[in-house]
Amino acid sequence: MKLDLVHDIQAAYRLTLDSMSRPGLISNISNQADKLNMEISCFGSTLVLVLMLFDTEVKFKVCSECEAETAKLINQLTYAKETEIESADYILVLKDAKPEDLEEVFRKAYPGDLLDPHKAATIIIETDYVSNDQNLTLTGPGIEKESYIDVKTNDHWVKLRAEKNTEYPLGIDLIFTDWYDNILCLPRTTQIAKRVIK
Amino acid sequence: MRIEYNFAFFDEGSKREIRRATLKAIAIPGYQVPFASREMPIARGWGTGGLQLTLSLVGKPDILKVIDQGSDESVNAVNIKKLIAITTGVTVSDETAEATIIQSRHRIPEVPLQEGQILVLQVPLPEPLRYYEPSEYETKKLHAEQEYSGAWLMLFEQIMNYGTMSTGADHPVMVHGRYVMAPSPIPRFDNPKLNYSQALILLGAGREKKVYAVPPFTRVASLDFEDYPFGVESFQDKCCRLCGAQGVFMDEILDDVTGEPFYQCNDSSYCLQNLNGKSRG
Repeated sequence: MKLDLVHDIQAAYRLTLDSMSRPGLISNISNQADKLNMEISCFGSTLVLVLMLFDTEVKFKVCSECEAETAKLINQLTYAKETEIESADYILVLKDAKPEDLEEVFRKAYPGDLLDPHKAATIIIETDYVSNDQNLTLTGPGIEKESYIDVKTNDHWVKLRAEKNTEYPLGIDLIFTDWYDNILCLPRTTQIAKRVIK
Repeated sequence: MRIEYNFAFFDEGSKREIRRATLKAIAIPGYQVPFASREMPIARGWGTGGLQLTLSLVGKPDILKVIDQGSDESVNAVNIKKLIAITTGVTVSDETAEATIIQSRHRIPEVPLQEGQILVLQVPLPEPLRYYEPSEYETKKLHAEQEYSGAWLMLFEQIMNYGTMSTGADHPVMVHGRYVMAPSPIPRFDNPKLNYSQALILLGAGREKKVYAVPPFTRVASLDFEDYPFGVESFQDKCCRLCGAQGVFMDEILDDVTGEPFYQCNDSSYCLQNLNGKSRG
C-alpha cells in the first residue's frame, strides 16, 4: 500500500506532536514508514518526517556518505532547498554520517536569536536504537517528574547539546529516529542528566 | 453545486506550515511563533487561529468538542464544529472526557483534562504587553530581553486604582519561568488549570498570526505580588440552580421579574452531565 500523504502524514504528525510535547515518550511510526515504496538511503521514519515538514519554505542539510543523492531526492520530493549547516532549518544526520559530522552540526547549527528563537534549527538524527532504558534522565516541561531514555549512538551528543543549549530560549531541538521507526524528541527545554547508580 | 473540499479544508502545504510552527511553539513554551494565518470561511477574530490549529491536528479517529464561553451550542461553536465535521467526517461530542481535541473560546472545561487530549484555545489578543506597547517590534524586544516590568506595573496600577488586580479575564501568566503569556480571555478561575496540565494546550490567534503552546506538566504561574496574591473569582456559598454544582465557574443571571440574581454553571456540558447523572439516579 502507498503512503497516504494526507492521512498517514497526519497520523505521524500527531505521534510526533505527542513525543515533542512529552520528551521521553517514544512513538513508533512504522505503520506509516512501511508504506513508503522508494529506495532511499535514510530510515523510513526520517523520510516520513521529511514529507511531514518540508516544502519550498524549508532549507535543509543532509550529513551522510550519500549526501548528494539524498539531498537531490528530498528536493525532488518536497521542493525544499539544500543549504549549509549554519542556515538550515532542518539538518538530517543520517546513520552513515561520521561522528565528526554530528559534532560539526552541533557546533554550527543555528540556535535562533533572542528576537526569533523559533528560527533555530531542528536536527533529525538517525541512531541504532532508542529506548526507555534508564541511561539518561530527562526533566523539564512535558515531563511529570522524570523520564528515562537511552539512545544507542557512539557520539557525545549529550555534552554537545548541553553546550549548544546553555542560553535558553536559544537552542536546538532534536528528533531521533531508529531502525525500528521509533521517534524520540528532545526540545531545547529538556534537561538531560546521566543516570548515576548509587 | 457541491464542492469537494480537501480533508480538513486545508491544502497540505498550509497544514505543513502550521505543523512546523506548532512543533517550535512546544519547544519554546509561552513564546508566540508567527505563522502565515490563512483566510478562513469565518471572519478573523472569530476563532480562526484555533480553527487552523484544529484543522492541522485533526484526523479520522478524532472526537471533536468545540465550546464557546462554556457552551457547546452557541453560534460560534456550532459553526466551527460544522465546518470541521463536514470537511473531515470526524465524530463530534459534547462530553469533555471522550473528546480527543477540544477547541475552546474563553474557557477551560470543568472536567479535568487528561493525557491524550489536546486543548486548542482561540486567542483574540496574544500579546500580553500590547496594552502598554503598541509596536510589535518593541514587544518582541521586550520578550527577548525578558523585560516585563510593564506587565507588573499594569497590575500595580490596578491595585493602586481599585485596591485589587482588576483583570477579569486574560490575567497574564509566566510560563516555564521565562515568557509572560496571554492565556486567552479565560476567567482567572481557569488560570490554575494551565499549571501542570495533563493535556497539551495550544493557543492560536488567527488575526494576529501567532501560535503558542503550553506543553503538559509545565509551570504556569499567574503574575501577582507577595502582598497581593493572585486570586480566582469566588463562588463561595453559590450553587448552580439547575444541577446544584458548587465550586465551578458560574454565570450570574438576573431574574427578569424579581431582579434577583441566580447562578448557573457556565460549562453547559458539565451541567448537563450532572443533571443526567441525577435523573439516572
